[in-house]
Amino acid sequence: MSTQGSKRRAVIVGGMRTPFAKAFTELKELDTIALGAAATSALLRKLELPHKEIDSVVWGGVVLPPLSVNIGREIVLDLGLPTSIEAMTVTRACASGLQAITTAASAIERGDADVVIAGGSDSTSNAPITFPTKVTRTLAPLALSGKATPQDIFGALAQLVPLSEVLPRQPRVAERTTGEVMGESAERMAQRNEISRQAQDELALRSHQRAARAIATGVFDDEVAKIETPNGFVHVDTLVRADTSLDKLSRLKPVFAKAGTITAGNATALTDGAAAVVLMSEEKARALGYTPLAALRSWSYVAVDPADQLLIGPAIAVPRALAKAGYELSDIDVIDMHEAFAAQVLSVLKMLDSQAFAEERLGRSKPVGAVDIDKMNIYGGSVAIGHPFAATGARMATTMAYELARSNKSTALLGICAAGGLGAAAVLERV
Amino acid sequence: MTDVLLELGKNPLARKLVASAKLPIPMPQGLVRLQGARTERFLEGKNVLVSGVSPLTDVLSRSLSRAGATSHVDSAALAQAFVPAAEAYGRPTKLLIPDEAAEAEPAHALILDTSSFASPEDLKQLYTFINKYLPRLSRNGRIVLLGREPEEASTLGEGAARQALDGFTRSLAKELGGKGTTANLVYIASDAKERLPAVLRFLLSPASAFVTAQPFHVSARAGWNDEDPWHQPLQNRVALVTGAARGIGEATARTLAAEGALVVCLDRPEDDEPLSQVTREIGGKAILCDVSDPTAGAYIASELHKLHGGVDIVVHNAGVTRDRTLARMPERSWDQVLGINLAALIKITDALLAEGTLRDQGRIISLASISGIAGNTGQTNYAASKAGVIGFTRYLANQVAKRGITVNAVAPGFIETRMTAAVPVVVREAGRRLSALGQGGQPEDVARAITFFAEPGSAGVTGQVLRVCGGALLGA
Repeated sequence: MSTQGSKRRAVIVGGMRTPFAKAFTELKELDTIALGAAATSALLRKLELPHKEIDSVVWGGVVLPPLSVNIGREIVLDLGLPTSIEAMTVTRACASGLQAITTAASAIERGDADVVIAGGSDSTSNAPITFPTKVTRTLAPLALSGKATPQDIFGALAQLVPLSEVLPRQPRVAERTTGEVMGESAERMAQRNEISRQAQDELALRSHQRAARAIATGVFDDEVAKIETPNGFVHVDTLVRADTSLDKLSRLKPVFAKAGTITAGNATALTDGAAAVVLMSEEKARALGYTPLAALRSWSYVAVDPADQLLIGPAIAVPRALAKAGYELSDIDVIDMHEAFAAQVLSVLKMLDSQAFAEERLGRSKPVGAVDIDKMNIYGGSVAIGHPFAATGARMATTMAYELARSNKSTALLGICAAGGLGAAAVLERV
Repeated sequence: MTDVLLELGKNPLARKLVASAKLPIPMPQGLVRLQGARTERFLEGKNVLVSGVSPLTDVLSRSLSRAGATSHVDSAALAQAFVPAAEAYGRPTKLLIPDEAAEAEPAHALILDTSSFASPEDLKQLYTFINKYLPRLSRNGRIVLLGREPEEASTLGEGAARQALDGFTRSLAKELGGKGTTANLVYIASDAKERLPAVLRFLLSPASAFVTAQPFHVSARAGWNDEDPWHQPLQNRVALVTGAARGIGEATARTLAAEGALVVCLDRPEDDEPLSQVTREIGGKAILCDVSDPTAGAYIASELHKLHGGVDIVVHNAGVTRDRTLARMPERSWDQVLGINLAALIKITDALLAEGTLRDQGRIISLASISGIAGNTGQTNYAASKAGVIGFTRYLANQVAKRGITVNAVAPGFIETRMTAAVPVVVREAGRRLSALGQGGQPEDVARAITFFAEPGSAGVTGQVLRVCGGALLGA
């Protein structure tokens, strides 16, 4: 809900993230808890926040560690923070990071908390390999009873044929209800919304160029922490390619359909990373001597049928969040739109600017508006920087909060699509 | 009673053998029917070929795109008119290329909008469009003609051309029935185009599998609150179904429940067992009562008030046959049939209206019969009662239109029920084959038609009798 009309306002005081790295590379030794702990401790060090002031941790996760799903609490314990800091973990697919932030903001607005750490992390490198249910049901009783004879074991093993039914399944980013891999959904969206390969490659190129420039000019210095791993330090995002070109991108082969348009170059890669922000009530922030970076003005979560256009949600969430904030798109100074796939972002942008979509799907007489490319993803987006699922929302909120604090811009818009047909949007404003 | 020919026809090899041996055996095409509730994008992945630009185009294009169809249009002007809907739903429209007609991917439906027809010369477009693209139409396909009401014509030529559509559609339905394809005609009053989507959804979906060669009239006669949910349209609506223990009544209760309705099932006290079975399975309520009892109306009204505070949908399905030629008919048979099939229906309706039980935007659907239209030996009593139901429907529709209540009737042709299973084999075979689709219908087919009338979006259709007969020759 919007903060309008309520007295307490939730503000972002600071944000920090790990560098983002391609799965199974630099950060592979750190699981999602370790990544979350790294981002959180770096943030606390930067803010010099007295630990006793922290009320709670709200953490987002998508690929959850099976034996300790409450990542937030594990971070508190691993960092040796006061054990009295309560914690929870939220999951809303790729919008989990934003969900953690808005859940924290709600608690602050309600007066339930004054200081909350919110963020998210994911380590695809440490995704648990799951066995099919048949294997679990057959072997678990043996493993757990502790009294199995060799005959029992062989009897159980005999049930595990054919082999194809019992081998671990490769984890896939697939919809449970439709069985469709997300890239296939995005490919269909490209076709249905008539998004060309070239437009996708151009968006990808811009994402890389802008991210590379942001890194080179130190824009991320405030936001990205140097992380220590067993194999050494990682201090910069590893997926960004300063040297890519339209020519290079256009030579990549489509991945999800023979005559398709989606390539490894215009889609996000599986990524490891974490991001965290500290939210406070405005009064508490000032009382502790902090200058708030930005305030949470409004947010909106929506859903569409995943069998239709899986990732179109932001086209509906954005106007709702804007309406709650009392803004039009033209009132927004800077936009961070999660780039799951270039095709998906371009589909969303096309619908935001469509008169027909506005009338038919939003019940508005006018389109939401054309997004000015010069205002959107000015420091690159997920295609270039990477997308550790639950970290993305907190990464975007961090970048936008610092942008509002250091520039003369006063409003920022976030848009995120997520599995299950979910869409999310939020509006930040300068304090 | 199993339809042996229909079962045989489902076997491709048998079909081939019969065809190659030129055996004089009809091979009816098995019909594709809806399973469970209707889905919003029921045309997902299907191609629909469209011709004719008119003020209806925006409603048509929105309906098709929202339903998930890929529209193929035969003119640049039509393609242009389809753009907004195509864009809003991400369903790019394709322009038909005449030469590739035969080889291109199959089409689920052909839709011809004849609104602009002004003279008999324009009828040539019926020939041109359908003759050209018929080869692309798949089995169980749909042909839908959209037209303006002949009564609204402003010239002689216009009036004649509009009426000509009727004969054309009926003939085409007969020609295509063997492929399980249906052809229907929708006349739309000039002020009623926003009420077209519900009719289109019915005709283009498997819900209308057994409805063919029928004209529909869409008008703004009944009041309407613009409500037209595509998904679970009957959610929170209370429906009363009389004679719900078995047959068409049972199928109707199940279908209404599948589309979200709270169903109150009514049948005679001696049918307590089958009725409670149905009620349990669909999570509905039961009323045990003999509809011909003089106090039935007041009792049903008070029960509905107690159960749900009123009712939105009333399905008058309870009915009996007592067949005998008039010369040999006992008086009791006459009295029973007229009493249950007609007098009771009027008394119950009166009570529901008088007590304010039937709410605004209500729906009344009664079971008529082909007998009531065409007559049938041994059914003077039954045919009189069913023709009376048609009179009831037409009269009442005018009375309650202001309140947004629609009144319609469904006239089943040969439906595979306990009743038709009992008739002699020769009569049964004739009943099945003497129709465009060459087979009997299922109780579900009638239930789907009733459910169509029950939808909030069906406000454009009132005072009508819809034949669910597979294009039966009888009385057509």
